[in-house]
Parts: sequence; C-alpha cells; structure tokens
Amino acid sequence: MNTNPDEANLALWLDDELEGAELASFEAWTASQPEHLAAREETRRWRKLISGAIPQSEEPPFPDFFNSRIAQGIREQTPALVLPEKKTAFWKSWLMPMAACAGMVFAFWIGAKSETRSIASQITEFDVAGAPRAIPVEQIIYTPENGVNAELFASDLSSPMVIVLSGMAAIPDTMDFSATTYIPREREFNSTADFDSSPAEVTN
Amino acid sequence: MNNPNGEPSKIEQGPDGSIGADVPLSDHEDDFRLVALAQKGDMRAYDELVTRHRGKIFAMIRNMIHQEADAWDISQDVFIKAWHALPRFEAKARFSTWLYRIAHNAVYDWTRKRKIESAGELNDEIFERERIDSASFTTPSGGEMPDQSMSQSELRQKIQAALNKLSPEHREVVLLKDVQGLSYKEIADAMSSTLGTVMSRLYYARQKLQTLLKDEYESR
Repeated sequence: MNTNPDEANLALWLDDELEGAELASFEAWTASQPEHLAAREETRRWRKLISGAIPQSEEPPFPDFFNSRIAQGIREQTPALVLPEKKTAFWKSWLMPMAACAGMVFAFWIGAKSETRSIASQITEFDVAGAPRAIPVEQIIYTPENGVNAELFASDLSSPMVIVLSGMAAIPDTMDFSATTYIPREREFNSTADFDSSPAEVTN
Repeated sequence: MNNPNGEPSKIEQGPDGSIGADVPLSDHEDDFRLVALAQKGDMRAYDELVTRHRGKIFAMIRNMIHQEADAWDISQDVFIKAWHALPRFEAKARFSTWLYRIAHNAVYDWTRKRKIESAGELNDEIFERERIDSASFTTPSGGEMPDQSMSQSELRQKIQAALNKLSPEHREVVLLKDVQGLSYKEIADAMSSTLGTVMSRLYYARQKLQTLLKDEYESR
C-alpha cells in the first residue's frame, strides 16, 4: 500500500479522522468521486458492525478482587523504605567495648562471691555449738574398685578433709609401706623418725 | 503506599492545589486529575483509574489471547506496571492509550513466553499470515455486509473466529481501531509503530476479515 501523504490522508478521511482545512479540501475533492464516498460509507458500516458485535468493554470476573489483587501486587513490588543507618558517635566506639568488658568482670566477681556465700550458709545451717561437723558436699569421688564407696567430710573450723572408704579389704600387717614411698638417700632429714642414715652403716 | 516517583506532578494544578474541582471534567480530563493524584501516591485515585479502564483493557487482552484466566492475570499485571511507570507518564497522550501500550507489551511478552514454554506445541495458526491481494479495494464491499437479523452473539462468534485467524498484529490493529475506537495515531503510539505501518496492517486485516466472513455475507 502506498502511504504517501495523499494515500495517508485518504485513509484518514475514510475513517473520519480528518479535520479542519484538510477535511474541507478532501470533501471538495471527493464530491466528484462517488467510489470514494461509497468506500467511506462502507467503512463506517464496517466499524459499526464490528463494534456492535464485539463489546468495547467487558468487566473482568470478580472485579473487586481484581482491584484488590492489583493493590496487593503494587504493595509487594514496592521496595520497603530503607532508613539510613545512624552514624555511631565517636565516644561510643570505645566506651561501649569498655563497658562490656567491665560488665563481664563484674559478673564474674558477683558469681565468685555468691558461690562462697552459699557454702558458708550451708555451714551455718548445720553447725552445732561450734563443733566440727561434716558438711555434705556434692562431689563425685571416683573409686577404682567395685563395691568401694567413698564419703567426703569437711569442716569449716579446721582445714582437713576426710575421705572415708567403705567396703575395702583390711590392710595386712605385713604390708611394707616403705616400698610405696620414695626416700632420697643423699639427703639429710631433720626428722625424728627412726631412720639411721649414718655412712658407716651404709658402707656395711 | 509509597509515592511511585517522589517527583512533582506533571499535571498543572490550580493555585489552591485543586485540579479543576469546580469545573465539570470530561473523562479524558478526569483521568488526568486522577493520574496527578496517583503520581503523588494516592492509591485510592489509582484504584478509581483501574475501575475506569479495567473493562477495556481486559476486553482487549481477552480478545487478543482468547484465554480468560490469563487475560485476568495479564490485565492486573498491566495496571501494576502502569503504577510503577506513572512517574514517566506525561499528559501528552490519553491515559487509556498509554495503558493500551503497556497492554500491547504485556501480551507480546506473554506470547513469547508461552511460545518458548510450549516448544512447538503452540498452534501455529494464530501466527499464520495469509497473503492478500494488494490490489484489492481498501474497504469491504457493500454487497457483502451480513444480514442485520443475525443475532449479535452469533455474529460475535463468527467475527471472533475470523479474528483468530489473523496474525496477532492484524488482530490487534482491528481491535484497537474498530472495537476500541482509537485513532491511527493512537494505535501507532500503542503499538510502537509508524502511522504507515498501522494503515497498512489495518488495510490487510480488514481485507482478510472480509474474505473470511464472505460466506456469511452471501448466505444472508
């Protein structure tokens, strides 16, 4: 199809899109062109036929839901507002770590102190007339032999701690304890023990 | 709802900020008033715009793809895209024409995607282009008009069946021109095409439809 200005104007005229001076000019020219007048009339009838058969507008199913889905889609696709990050003050950069460290030290000190107090309170609760007495201590004592039980006794007034073993076999009198002890020979002792360390006997 | 642009509206307003509140507005001007409000982030104004134009957009898309469910989804997508593109809308064209352009792109995106997904299963008939004698007359002949007694629903089915046999470009130009009533210039804007191309497509599309509906003309 030739789309030079005349052809284009003819197409516009056939579809009733020309206006003003151009329309007047074409009307004057087509007055003597019956085939063009008929063509325009046919174009008008064609448009009326098509537009009459196919609706220009058709409501979508569930129109309210249609709109709400659009609003939801817009919300979902709109990026969330990102607040600018606040600049940390200079003093906070060193004060906050120090405060955190101080807090940890304080918490450790409080923890140590509270543990001491709890033992003392247990001692006070079971103490009678200032006498040494056993303190139940929740400790697990490992015994290598089966059937041997161990009980731990401690005192608040004296430092010794006693472990009583029950279920062990009696120790025979013939047992040589010296064999279980290491005694350095070239060392002098200020001990009162019956132990002769004179050189004469050694060289015997 | 965030403002889609954050920029000042391109619609001129009165000194008190009102937009033609006292003067009765045409649909065209009322669209611009609502667009100006929507550009400022007024979701209710945009909802009103959706309500005004959803029927035309849905009908257009449905006639293009012939699937109601997909047309429903694509129509919504058109309005969501239009919202995000509102900052770029200028009052140089009608809002409806601008929507048709977005709808045009959405339909062709859908067609391309569907063509890829179906991988050959797509009915090639909708893309078939039967050549028409270029020497034929530019308008349907008067003796081939269908009988006026044909029921509208029956006529609609026959016309839609004939439209389905057109290429997407020819079908779209007929729908925009003869159904939606857009001018050549508006169709060229909506289809991102030239005026001459639109005229040529409409010429061939009408000829093809005339040929396809010829039996119907002659039987009545």
